[in-house]
Amino acid sequence: MTAITQSLSQFKGSIGQHFRWDYFLQDNVTSSIWLTIWVALLTMVTAVYTIGQVASSPVPTLIIIAIWVAILGLAIAGGLFQKHTKVGDWLGSNLVGSISNALLTLLLMLWLASAFRSVLSYAVINATFDPALTAPEVRTKDGATWGWLAATNSNPEVIGGARDLLLYGRLDRMFVPRVKAAGLIILALALLTVAANKTGVWQSKKPVSQGLTYAWLLSPLILFILLNGVTYNPDKPLINFSTLIMGTIGVLLLYGFSWWQKIVKYSLANVIVAAVAFPIFYVAWRFLAQSQLFPVINVDTWGGLMLTLIIAASVILLSFPVGLILAMGRRSEVRGIPDWITWPLVIIFTVWGFKTSTPGLLADARNTIETLIAFWPILIVAIGYVIQQGFKGNIVAAFSTFFIETIRGVPLITLLFMAIIMAPFFFKSGTVIPNPYAVIIGYTVFSAAYMAELIRGGLQAIPQGQYEAADALGLNTLQKMRFVIFPQALRILIPALVGSFIGNFKSSSLVSIVGLFDLVGIAGSVVGNAQWLGLKRELYYGMALFYFLVSFTMSSYSRRLEAKLSTGQ
Amino acid sequence: MAVNPTAENIIEIRDVHLWYGEFEALKGVNLTVKQGEVIVLLGPSGSGKSTFIRAINRLEEHGRGDITVKGIPLTHDVRDIAEIRREVGMVFQQFNLFPHLTIMENITLAPINVRKWSREKAEEIGMKWLTRVGIPEQANKYPGQLSGGQQQRVAIARTLTMEPEVLLFDEPTSALDPEMVKEVLEVMSDLANEGYTILAVTHEMGFARGVADRIIFMDYGRILETGPSDEFFENPKHDRLKLFLSQILHH
Repeated sequence: MTAITQSLSQFKGSIGQHFRWDYFLQDNVTSSIWLTIWVALLTMVTAVYTIGQVASSPVPTLIIIAIWVAILGLAIAGGLFQKHTKVGDWLGSNLVGSISNALLTLLLMLWLASAFRSVLSYAVINATFDPALTAPEVRTKDGATWGWLAATNSNPEVIGGARDLLLYGRLDRMFVPRVKAAGLIILALALLTVAANKTGVWQSKKPVSQGLTYAWLLSPLILFILLNGVTYNPDKPLINFSTLIMGTIGVLLLYGFSWWQKIVKYSLANVIVAAVAFPIFYVAWRFLAQSQLFPVINVDTWGGLMLTLIIAASVILLSFPVGLILAMGRRSEVRGIPDWITWPLVIIFTVWGFKTSTPGLLADARNTIETLIAFWPILIVAIGYVIQQGFKGNIVAAFSTFFIETIRGVPLITLLFMAIIMAPFFFKSGTVIPNPYAVIIGYTVFSAAYMAELIRGGLQAIPQGQYEAADALGLNTLQKMRFVIFPQALRILIPALVGSFIGNFKSSSLVSIVGLFDLVGIAGSVVGNAQWLGLKRELYYGMALFYFLVSFTMSSYSRRLEAKLSTGQ
Repeated sequence: MAVNPTAENIIEIRDVHLWYGEFEALKGVNLTVKQGEVIVLLGPSGSGKSTFIRAINRLEEHGRGDITVKGIPLTHDVRDIAEIRREVGMVFQQFNLFPHLTIMENITLAPINVRKWSREKAEEIGMKWLTRVGIPEQANKYPGQLSGGQQQRVAIARTLTMEPEVLLFDEPTSALDPEMVKEVLEVMSDLANEGYTILAVTHEMGFARGVADRIIFMDYGRILETGPSDEFFENPKHDRLKLFLSQILHH
C-alpha cells in the first residue's frame, strides 16, 4: 500500500496542493477491512450489471453511463482545481461523494432507467386501450389491456369493460347520475376551498369562508338525500305535529346552549331563525319525500369505489368526535359517586339477582359451568368494587375506559361481523339496518377507541400549567378545552391522527370479508368473472395506484397543515 | 400602603387541611386577609406555601376546613368556584402563557369568554394593562418571541385585565434571569401600592421587607409565625424561622 501511495504522492504536486491521494484512498477504501470488501463487492456488482445492461439495451445504457461520467468529471474537477460551482458541489456531495456513493449512483441510475422502460413498455407502448381488444383472442400478449377497465358494460352480449362495476358495484344503474352528482358536489367544494385558501380569499372575504363552511356542514345532508334517498310512506300524515313541536324546542335549546357557550351571538333575528329553522326544514323534508324526486336507493346495493369512499369518509369523520368524547370521558375528574350510594345499590341488585335468577338457573344447571354461571350476581359486587376502588366512583371514566379497552381487545373483523349479525338485536324488532350502515357504525366504534387513546395522549402532552392558567382565569371546562387545550393538542396530534385516518381508509377494504362489495370486494368478483378470464394485473395495479394517491394526498396535506399550525412556536 | 384597620375581611380561611393521597400537605391553616392587605408567604420548599395559595382558587382541593373569598364559600359547587376565580387572579412561576395565541389574544381570551366583554372593550383594557407593565408594542407577537421577564409581565397584565380584587403570586420571579427579576418586582410593588389584596409566595426578601404588610412563615404544612415585616425580620421567635432566616440572609 505504501509503495502505491508514495508513487501517487509524487503526482499530487501537479493537481492542487490540498488534495492528498493517501487520505483519499484511506477514506474511501482502506480505512477498514469491511469497507474494502464492500467497495470491492460493489465494484464487481456494478460492473456485471452495467455490462449486462449494455448488452441488452446499448443505447440508453451508454447515454446513462455518459451522464454519470459527466457528473463524476464535474465533481472531480471541482475538487481537484478548487473550482466550486453550485451544481458541481451539489452533485459532488450528494451523488458522487465517495467511491461507493459514485458506484451506487451508477447502479441506481441504470436500474431506475431499466425499471422505467419496463413500466413504460407494459403500460403504454405495448398496451391496448381499445375496449374492443379485450377478448382473449385479440388481447395483446406483451402489455396491459386497459380497455376492459375503462369501458362500461352496457351491452351484455359483447365483452365490455368493468368500469361501472368497479365504480358503483351492484347499484341500479338508473341511480348513477345521483352518485355522480354527489361526487361532483364534493369535488367542487374541495376545489373551491383549496382555491379560496391558495388565493387568500378565505382569509380576506368573510362571506366566502362562511359560505363554504356552511356548504361543508350541509354536505352530509345533501349526500344523504342523493345517495340514500328520502323515505316516503303515503300512509303517514304529511305533517306530524308532535315531531314538529319537539324538533323546534330542540333547536331552540341548542341555540340557547350555543349562546351560553359564546359559540353564537344573541339577537332577535337569531332567535327567529332558530325558531323557524326546524319547521321549515321539516316541512321541506316532508314535501321532498312526497315529491319522490329522490326515491330511496337500496343501500345494500352500494358497491365499488363509491362504497369504499363512503365508508372511509364516514368512519374518519365520525370516529374523531366519538374518540374525543371517549378521551375526555376517560380523563374526566367528575366527582365520583360516594360509597354510601354505590354499595347499597350493589347490595340491592346483588340480592335481587340472587333471589330472582339464581334459583332457576341452579335448578336447570346440567354441569359445573352452568352451576357457576347461576352465581352471576357476584359480578355486580366486582363491578361495584372496580368502580369504587379503581375509579373512585367516577362512572364516566369507568365507562369510557371499559369501552375503549373492550373495543381495542377485539379484532376489527370480529367487530364487523358483530355489527352485521348482532346489530339488529339492539334495536326494536323489525328494524332493518342495511349492512353498509351497520359496518360504518361498527367500524366507527372500533376506530374511535383507538382515536380516543391518541387524543388522550395529545391532551396529556399539554403541560399542566396550561390547564391551571385556564382554570385560574375562570374559563369553564368547555372553553378551556376549546380555546387553550385542543388547538395545542391538535398540532401535536396531526401526524398520529392522519396516520390513523390513512389506516382507516386502507383498512376499509376489510369490509369485503363481511360480504360488502367495496372496491377490493368487487375487484375480487370482477377478476373471477369468466368474461374477463386472465385479466387482473391491470386492475390491481390501478387499485394500488388509487390507494397510494389518496393516502399520499392525506399525508402531504397533513404536513402542510402542521407547518401552518406551528406559527409562533 | 398601611391597611385600613376597618377594612373588610376579603379572605377567611379556617382550619384548612389538604391531602395528596396519604400525605397531609396542609395541617390546619388559619388566616384572615383584609381588603388591600399585602401578604408574603415564606418557607422552605415543601412547606405547603404554594399549595396553600393554590387552594384559595381551587387549583388544589382542600379536604377539611373552610375557605371564604368575598363572602363566597369555596365548595364543590362549580358556580361558586367560577365566581371566586373571577375575583382571584393568579400569576405562576412558569408564566403559563398560551403559546398558540398572540399576547393580545392571551390577554383578552378570559375577559371575552368569562366576563362576556366585547372584543373592543377587552382589547382596550388589555392594552391599558399592557402599557402599564411597559410592553404595549409586543401585543401582536407570540409568547415564544418574548423574554422571560416580558412573558411574566404579560402574565400579570393577563391576570389584571380580568379585574380581580385578589392577586395570588406563586414564586413569580423564580424562573427568571436575575436581571429580569427587577422589572417584575417593580410591577408587583406598584400593584401593592394601588390597594390590590396580594398573597405572594416569593424568596425576594427585598420585596417582602419593603412592600409586605404582613409576613407569614410556613413549614410542615402549618403557619409557624406571622407578623408585620419589620418585626418579623428583626425579632423572629420561632426556632425554625431563625434557622431559615440565617440560611437565606447570610449570603
